[in-house]
Amino acid sequence: MPQATGRADATRAVVFSPLDGAGRAELVEQRLTDAIVSGVLRDGERLPSESELARSLGVAVVTAREALVALRNKGLVHTRRGRDGGSFVTHDRDASMRMVDERVRALSRSELRDLSLLYAAIAGTAAEVAADRASEDDLASLVEIDARADLTTPGGARRAVGRFQLEIAAVSQSPRLVHEELRMQAEAGPLLWLCLREQDSRDRSRTARLEVIQAIREVQPERARRATTQHIASAVEWLIDEKVRLEQASLVEAHEASAAATPEGGRP
Amino acid sequence: MTITVDVDAEHIAQRIASTIDPVFTMIDGWRDAFERELEGPFAGALTGEGEQTASTLDPVVAALVSPELERDDALITGAGFVAAPGFLADAPWHLAWWLSGSNTFGAGPDPRLRRLEAVSDPDSEQFRDYTTLEWWRVPARTGTRHLTGPYVDYLCTDDYTVTITTPVRVGGEMAGLVGTDLYVARLEQVLLPVIREAGHPCTLVNASGRIVASTDARRATGALLRIDGLAEALTPLRDAVTATDAASLPGGEAVVPCGDTSLALVLEA
Repeated sequence: MPQATGRADATRAVVFSPLDGAGRAELVEQRLTDAIVSGVLRDGERLPSESELARSLGVAVVTAREALVALRNKGLVHTRRGRDGGSFVTHDRDASMRMVDERVRALSRSELRDLSLLYAAIAGTAAEVAADRASEDDLASLVEIDARADLTTPGGARRAVGRFQLEIAAVSQSPRLVHEELRMQAEAGPLLWLCLREQDSRDRSRTARLEVIQAIREVQPERARRATTQHIASAVEWLIDEKVRLEQASLVEAHEASAAATPEGGRP
Repeated sequence: MTITVDVDAEHIAQRIASTIDPVFTMIDGWRDAFERELEGPFAGALTGEGEQTASTLDPVVAALVSPELERDDALITGAGFVAAPGFLADAPWHLAWWLSGSNTFGAGPDPRLRRLEAVSDPDSEQFRDYTTLEWWRVPARTGTRHLTGPYVDYLCTDDYTVTITTPVRVGGEMAGLVGTDLYVARLEQVLLPVIREAGHPCTLVNASGRIVASTDARRATGALLRIDGLAEALTPLRDAVTATDAASLPGGEAVVPCGDTSLALVLEA
């Protein structure tokens, strides 16, 4: 039974999809942190309970609890007791920016490019196949997603990109591409779509979306793939430029700090 | 223009219909059971008198669909009842949907019969208005059964699925619908041997021209069959008109509707 079961918002749904790999508490923490700082989970929104979280992510309840404690310590959620209690998202714009910056700095350029390359392979193939397989109804739902996109906020633009890419994967009729798309949205999405902080990038992402829709309408698989991979490539270029900016800024800071620590003429 | 389609093709189209017919009969039976329960001399026999509520109706749904989902050779992987908005007193939006053990979505290490968790609070971010979806929209418009798919059910089971739904009516109004999900992979296993009997290349498509199964291995399930005139020939199937007449296409192919399944067999020239 399709599309009626609480996964209406794809970018948000991937946040609570099962995790694989080791260090699970950290993975849970990372995924929720990404979702909160990128605005996919909204300020004041109530998170699922510990047991709900554990079930949807496929981890032990104690692991989910550990992750929630870590988020609380980071100031990303607060907990209220009582009947209407639970964990609620606290979105502090400045704190969020700092956390994202740290994450961008922690990954090397080659890791960022590698991540985007894999994502382009998945999303590009999905777009190529979708252009061949889209029915009139499929096309209508892609147009609808674009029409409902809120480009005024980074979170809105992120959700639109996520929904659109997921729908493209679904239109390709491949359950595996859909699965990989969801996985990549959780893993690469928060970094790759950081560029949507800027209005300019949000407008460009819409242009890319319209180009893909047009390619699908005209049954041009190559054009759909190209528009998709170019969109992803430009997003990773923005991200790497941002990383360079952040690194330079911290170099300057470090320099100033050391200059302050050894004032001129301070030497004996 | 009269078209002569060889008897074999008609026969195979019929056999495809009769492969799927038991599923239709099953959900028609559920619909009848619901309509009896909701209206007429036996109204409330199972749920008691008074307004219909989710809490009294859910056990009735479970009792109807569970035995079918638990059958060893079941074609179906999910089934249930979806209420029209506002029909139930205690739940404005309501899905009573069960998944079988063969459905591994969110099932944990030991998949067995279980209820699908659905968000029915319209204020929730995750709420989805199901009346906009094809499996609701089309039967609500036509008043009859509809076959949706094949499609990737990414918002539910992450699988390649066909969904069949039929309206439940009370006092002339749609109270909701009953329906069931089938895996395309399973359907292909069952249908391929049937269409192979045609003895020459043929492809089974849905009303949108999407391939369900083909004797030609290069015709991929899920792809659109692009043949001149096919879309027009399939129009009656999309409009839920009971079409039984075969049509021939400019390229010499024949299109034979498979009973009232809304599927059609395309025989290549």
